[in-house]
Amino acid sequence: MENNNQLKLPTKFTSYLENLPEQGMGYQIVDIELFNGKTLVDRIVFNSTYLKLNNDEKIDSENIKSVKINSK
Amino acid sequence: MIYRIYEQDSETLLEKPETGMGYQIISAAQYNMRFSRKFVVYNTNLAVELDSDFQVNKRLIMNEGYKFALSKAPVLTLETNSIKVFDHNSVREFITLSAVKRDINKRLSGGKGATDSPKEFANGKDIFTRVSAYEDDKRIDFVKNRLKPGTFTTTFEDYANCVITNDDPIDRYALPNDEKIKWAFFIQPKSVDILQKGIVQPAFSHVGGGIEAYFEKGTSENTYALKKEYGKQ
Repeated sequence: MENNNQLKLPTKFTSYLENLPEQGMGYQIVDIELFNGKTLVDRIVFNSTYLKLNNDEKIDSENIKSVKINSK
Repeated sequence: MIYRIYEQDSETLLEKPETGMGYQIISAAQYNMRFSRKFVVYNTNLAVELDSDFQVNKRLIMNEGYKFALSKAPVLTLETNSIKVFDHNSVREFITLSAVKRDINKRLSGGKGATDSPKEFANGKDIFTRVSAYEDDKRIDFVKNRLKPGTFTTTFEDYANCVITNDDPIDRYALPNDEKIKWAFFIQPKSVDILQKGIVQPAFSHVGGGIEAYFEKGTSENTYALKKEYGKQ
């Protein structure tokens, strides 16, 4: 099923990701740490900007503490 | 073929992590055999070989039920030391290219991905293409007209094959996108630029088989030539 649930990352994370390598054409795989202590692992970010969310998943961009490229 | 995993091997699998919820994808050799085969193992004891009959056998289990399938399956004893469980990240979708995709769409199979391939210098003539859903693709440095470090592209020839044969770029380049590819960016690296060329490996339920080129250090200034709508001449 198609999933268009995406979150636009704040500019500071976009600028950070723009300078890091891709994992494939047009996307990066990242781990995201939230301020509530939760970590989202192996998430896809398109064009260093759009975080692909799971269906029905809701995340406030202000709740994102850090974004790191998943180097596994 | 459907098998029941030998009890001791089942215990070994129980100590290893799952590939996904309720299953493990493993590579293992049968006892006293040298070569490894791949299986999907459900609940550490019901194994379905990942071969061309996999979908048929999976449906059979769904129709007959797990317990019945397990009760009539022959026992499979494995060489314990040969058991390798694929983790979620490393799972390649064990899909083979159909003849249509190979012959009509001119896709390739096997080989290595770009980042696993040797580095080579560009010849200064070849053109590479980056397909994207985004007109403001962040991997293109529009000020210095270059590719940023760590960027993937395909060859112009492969892009042209994708367009001419009306292939699906998302499947060909195994992209996780739900959005359509709308743009194509054309880059002509200089002979000092280094790249790695390989075959797109299966991922995200896509077959791959296109050509990918990875520029670990990006490209020189003024190598980005132009942008066009995907498929337009």
